[in-house]
Amino acid sequence: MDQRIPGDLAGAPPVSVHFVNNVLATAASYIEEDPDTARDVLAELGAFLTHRLRGPRTVSSADELEHVAVYVRLEQARFPGRIDAELPPPGELPATTAVPGAVQASVSEALGRWLGQHPGRVRMALRARNGGLDLQLDRPDEPGEPGERLRIGFQPDNTGTLA
Amino acid sequence: MSSGLAILAVDDEPRALTDIKRLLETSASVERVATATSAKEALVFLSGGRYDALFLDVAMPEIEGMALARLLRRFADPPAVVFLTGHPDAAVEAFEVQALDFLVKPVSRERLESALSRVEQHVRGAEAAKAGPTGDGAADAATGPDVVAVDNPKGGGKRLVRLETISFAQANGDYARIVCDDGRFLLRTPLSQLEKDWGASGFARVHRAYLVNLKHAVELRAQLNGTAVLIMRDDTEIPVARRNVAALRRRLHA
Repeated sequence: MDQRIPGDLAGAPPVSVHFVNNVLATAASYIEEDPDTARDVLAELGAFLTHRLRGPRTVSSADELEHVAVYVRLEQARFPGRIDAELPPPGELPATTAVPGAVQASVSEALGRWLGQHPGRVRMALRARNGGLDLQLDRPDEPGEPGERLRIGFQPDNTGTLA
Repeated sequence: MSSGLAILAVDDEPRALTDIKRLLETSASVERVATATSAKEALVFLSGGRYDALFLDVAMPEIEGMALARLLRRFADPPAVVFLTGHPDAAVEAFEVQALDFLVKPVSRERLESALSRVEQHVRGAEAAKAGPTGDGAADAATGPDVVAVDNPKGGGKRLVRLETISFAQANGDYARIVCDDGRFLLRTPLSQLEKDWGASGFARVHRAYLVNLKHAVELRAQLNGTAVLIMRDDTEIPVARRNVAALRRRLHA
């Protein structure tokens, strides 16, 4: 059902209109009570869309990871206090390229699913390993509950469930 | 309606809920706003008090807004539903569950006031209907739908079109081609059915192939052969069949 802005490059994932509209609603909610935060949210959204809509190209793994960081901050603004995130330092990333959004789309799919399924806090840890990334999701307030581990490649073909 | 509206806003996104709550609270037509972060919580509110309308997020965990709207239709006296969403495509489904309106987040003040105006009309209609069949509610109940879902040539989905923006519908086999402010769209409904559905909204069958919104008509021009041509706001000329001319003239002069 989600309407999406088409990706600019073959294989580039589209931007979710649902996500964009909800981030805009989040920014609107801060305008009166905290204008600086509203401005920050809009600036982050601008950076997010610029990365995705600048035109056909590939980006470095570090640029794509920065895009994921922007995405996570936007989700944290949408859901205050619900997302703990750990991202790999740029120095640990493989020297590879990706289409814009290749990693973010996989993280978004998994994180969105977890936020929908679990009402409390969600912890996500993205770690560099063997030329790709491992995404670990769990619930810090429910330590006994099983988590989920996904393999996320810088190329879409290398993404899948690990556990 | 003796006082302002009582609204229950439901959204799992706390910031979006904050935004719509603030907008609602600062509207002159709203007296009371309650908020819930899930459909379950909304049901608790509904069991404990009377609300004129729900402003309901479509995408929520567990019970989605659309499912809650379907559930509400089983209530004896359900509140009106206005959907809030970041999914523009959900409009078609909202139409199917008879939602009063459909707002895409973030909501503008103007759009919100338009939705609240519809809620007020709905509440007045419901109160009049309760008062008796001769009240205003009978007239409201006689009016047709306010929006229609048409095939969207861009993207292949559905698009909602307000009846008031439609200039005319033209028969196209078992389909109808509608011409409105936003363009031309195909509707999978025969003109004869549209005539029944839209008659109470000011549409008139002026020709075997044309159903016209008379609010968009500006001139009825008689022809020498007894037929006529109806001139629309955009200068489109619609043929009027000979047998319909007299009735149309009476209706336009009424």
